[in-house]
Amino acid sequence: MGAIEHGLVFSLMALGVFLTLRALDFPDISVDGSLPLGAAVSALLITKGYDQFLSVAAAALAGFGAGAITALLNTKLKILNLLAGILTMIGLYSINLRVMGMPNIPLLGYDTVFTPLESMGIPPQVASIGLFATFTVLVCVFLVWFFHTDIGLALRATGDNLKMVKAQGVNTDRMIFFGVALSNAFVAMSGALVAQSLGFADVNMGIGTVVAGLASVIVGEAVLSSSTVLKAVVGVVVGSMIYRLAVAYALSVELGPIKLSPGDLNLITAIIVVIALTFPGVRKKLGGLRS
Amino acid sequence: MIELQNIKKVFNAGTVNENIAIQGIDLKIEKGDFITVIGSNGAGKSTMLSIVAGFQTPDGGRVLFGDKDITKVPEYKRAEYIGVVFQDPLSGTAKSLSIEENMAIAAKRGTKRWFRRGVNSKNRKYFAERLKELGLGLEERLKANAGLLSGGQRQSLTLLMAAMANPEMLLLDEHTAALDPKTAELVMNLTDKLIKDMGLTAMMVTHNMKQALDFGNRIIMMHEGQIILDIKGEEKQGLTIPDLLGMFEKVRGVGITDDKLLLSK
Ligand SMILES: Nc1ncnc2c1ncn2[C@@H]1O[C@H](COP(=O)(O)OP(=O)(O)OP(=O)(O)O)[C@@H](O)[C@H]1O
Ligand SMILES: [Mg+2]
Repeated sequence: MGAIEHGLVFSLMALGVFLTLRALDFPDISVDGSLPLGAAVSALLITKGYDQFLSVAAAALAGFGAGAITALLNTKLKILNLLAGILTMIGLYSINLRVMGMPNIPLLGYDTVFTPLESMGIPPQVASIGLFATFTVLVCVFLVWFFHTDIGLALRATGDNLKMVKAQGVNTDRMIFFGVALSNAFVAMSGALVAQSLGFADVNMGIGTVVAGLASVIVGEAVLSSSTVLKAVVGVVVGSMIYRLAVAYALSVELGPIKLSPGDLNLITAIIVVIALTFPGVRKKLGGLRS
Repeated sequence: MIELQNIKKVFNAGTVNENIAIQGIDLKIEKGDFITVIGSNGAGKSTMLSIVAGFQTPDGGRVLFGDKDITKVPEYKRAEYIGVVFQDPLSGTAKSLSIEENMAIAAKRGTKRWFRRGVNSKNRKYFAERLKELGLGLEERLKANAGLLSGGQRQSLTLLMAAMANPEMLLLDEHTAALDPKTAELVMNLTDKLIKDMGLTAMMVTHNMKQALDFGNRIIMMHEGQIILDIKGEEKQGLTIPDLLGMFEKVRGVGITDDKLLLSK
């Protein structure tokens, strides 16, 4: 996949991370498990002969369930949000293996969401960019709408000022439930599309998801001010593209005898996030995140 | 209307830091009461308010709303009939949401929130009208983020929000203490006007004795987790600061050696 495609398809994931981290102020690590969950569910259904678009919807639903579990661990069992996410992520690793029945499902030869476009004679690269862009725009429109509904307003305020929303009669447990579940639904959807685009699903494909999402969100905020919901949402998509371009560039440089490989991706991401967090302007905006 | 029955609250029970914040409070708040609450630092005023609002659960006793026991009802459910304003002007509004969005959240208090648009042309008009009553020009800045407002503007907005959606009761915890004298006066007058106009029952903690005497129909003095004075009606009219200090002395059997504990100008 090219960096643009990467940026687009992973922007769905980044939007999910944005929803929990920024709107809800809930650092949710379970997305590392729900990305491969989406891929696994989608790949399983496709190989069983189900419709490829239906498999994306099913993946989103599975992600919603995974996020719901993290939310309930946090709100009902009072487990710290970071730990709740880690527990779901670890649990999902086993579940994903169970779903797939093996660590890897190849999708070569099966119909994917790209097949209808490609069979119309559209070049594969154009087809995938067009399709990813469509999904991204749809999710952006949905999110901007959602953030302006009664529940969306209460959800944003939950991440902003917990004391205030409680005083205003908001059931914050309910907001956390909706926010985290919806976020994981987007991430799983992203996983399903990534798998169909790569041509396989793999249990290990989720490693580093949350950090990559975080990097996209931060880069987006550094580029575009997040003064309005629309700007913030578009910023995440732009951030995701820039981040993937930066990674592609980083992987292409040769440091003397050392040539970076895709295995170095997580380290590069970690470094990008650290640099972004140390950058003064960004740091100011992120006040809450670092403490 | 709201009644506290033998309320106890102990922080860090069973540890060396054990702290009995409230030791057996009985208080019957009548409909239409505007109670001012005074007392030295650590007397338990904020804790008592938190117990009424549901932010804290008492370790003993009951909280009644009418004849309903609400001791275990969580704060977000009590918000349907209780509005709260805290001391910190930043704590009552969400900074990254616009003025109108903050108000939309307040307007929905006590109803289920679903997927309706939060701010629409109809409630926007209503918000603007309410803001106009503040006389701060905020009605021209509906789309500005609350984080851009000054402390006094934010506290005024918080007050308006607390009084929205027709609460039965308003709780104010030193809500003018962090403001400069002029703004404090403005917010206090606004508070009095809202309470009168809307016929609210209110309880206001203050360290400002003059404020405590000038406003309300009933005054409560707290000391070491207990209510030691409760003066209402005619008796409260014409009460002076020396009167109060004298009464404190009589009740406690000692003079207030350090009246800074009680007074602040
Ligand atoms: N969350 C808490 N944990 C432990 N102790 C607490 C807590 N909240 C209050 N206290 C203690 O309970 C006692 C009563 O505190 P409270 O805040 O109600 O006093 P107050 O009358 O509001 O004082 P002030 O005028 O300073 O605001 C104090 O001794 C305080 O230290
Ligand atoms: Mg206090």
